[in-house]
Amino acid sequence: MANSIVALRAYRDGLHLIIRPHLSITEVEAAIQQEMSRMNRPLIGASVQIDLKCPTLKEEEIAYLRSKLQETYNLTVRSIESFDEQPAPPIAAAPTTHTISQIADVPDSRDNEPARIVPYTIRSGQTEDFPQGSLIIYGDVNSGGEVRAGGDIVVLGALRGNAHAGMNGRLSAVVIAMELIPVQLQIGSFVNRRPIGQKPRGYPEIARVGVEDVIIVEKFVKF
Amino acid sequence: MGKVIVVTSGKGGVGKTTSTANLGTALALLGKTVAVVDADVGLRNLDIVMGLESRIVYTSMDVIEKQCELSKALVKDRRVDGLMLLAASQKNNKDDIQPAQMKAICDKLRATHDFVLVDSPAGIERGFSNASAGADEAIVVTTPDVSAIRDADRIIGLLQNERIEPINLILNRFSPELVGNGSMMDQADVLDILNIDLIGIVPEDSGVITSTNRGIPLVYEDTSPGSQAYMRIARRLTGQRIPIPDLEHKGLLTNIVNWFTRKR
Repeated sequence: MANSIVALRAYRDGLHLIIRPHLSITEVEAAIQQEMSRMNRPLIGASVQIDLKCPTLKEEEIAYLRSKLQETYNLTVRSIESFDEQPAPPIAAAPTTHTISQIADVPDSRDNEPARIVPYTIRSGQTEDFPQGSLIIYGDVNSGGEVRAGGDIVVLGALRGNAHAGMNGRLSAVVIAMELIPVQLQIGSFVNRRPIGQKPRGYPEIARVGVEDVIIVEKFVKF
Repeated sequence: MGKVIVVTSGKGGVGKTTSTANLGTALALLGKTVAVVDADVGLRNLDIVMGLESRIVYTSMDVIEKQCELSKALVKDRRVDGLMLLAASQKNNKDDIQPAQMKAICDKLRATHDFVLVDSPAGIERGFSNASAGADEAIVVTTPDVSAIRDADRIIGLLQNERIEPINLILNRFSPELVGNGSMMDQADVLDILNIDLIGIVPEDSGVITSTNRGIPLVYEDTSPGSQAYMRIARRLTGQRIPIPDLEHKGLLTNIVNWFTRKR
């Protein structure tokens, strides 16, 4: 079940513990407990930044949480930031489920990363998730369909639906398709969408995160 | 043993009921025994399109509740030999029927008819699972617009999960003029996305509206383009190999250029 009060997210500058509006400090404690229990292994000695998205938390409550995190979960709080309302997270748009356990399981580079082959077309309403590695699709991904991978996504057909490569935060992930006309394309936490009325170009294309932190799309010649 | 074919689409208003009525009638005109089954419980329409609404006494609900025998609930179409309609109940709703009960009806009809055509309701919920429960094959009806195609794509995925095949496509309300001036998807675009076999293209035909209102399926008059298209699809369903004519409208200049550049 999704935790609506507390979320632990991995961004490029490290771990963030996001605290959203709540009723009482005990509720926050329970939510932290729940979020921590989702981890496969303890986060020994990690440091987190607390992102306060609630104006109600008092000074002494924050101090209490800081000591609680240190004692119970062995987490060091490196900084605390307050956000008024709907702030932009540290990197671009809203990330999906970036949990620490996934980060820890997935190597940062393409080396030794597993790949799953999907020998059919992903149709509207169908999804294919592979957080452990890359996805290779021997078919199309149609409008309304969705593919998500921890690593790269290669579509040996037309990509017309949604794709999310590097879902655990690996920004070197790429998306390659014979026809790259997705509704939405996400790499790590960067999102891009199809320009209105874009037609297929007739050659394979590759999407990657460029130097200016935007998703760039270019003709795919070779890797 | 006959075949049970579900006629479905996902999206509403693309011509499922019209296609069921016309294909059922066309198959009967070709000498086959046919049962058309309305699976749209609560929103039945097939009886109106076939002009049989005044003759319905029992429905599939009565058969399921054992109020009457299946043979008694079938309404015979008197205009052609071998065509029967099993109507849906109008006062119940789709959750009152289980897929297994629908499958039992289809299996019984299959024993006595060459073709059983099941008219599915729109949507992907219980109505759809009821309609497809007893089906061997499927016909997906779509119009050449993006929302109908996305819904068709969803339905094809669900049918494939149920291991129903083949799944054939009818491209309905196709307008060669609109394709010609670039404002409608052409048949290649649709097939590229849906990636299933095309069994026929039905051109936009205003005769459909009048035929629905009069309760006389289009195929009884053999002149209109829609009627001819449905007759061709019915022949393909019986196993005849009939090429799909090229309905795409090309300008005079294109035709002249094609004539000079054609392979001889």
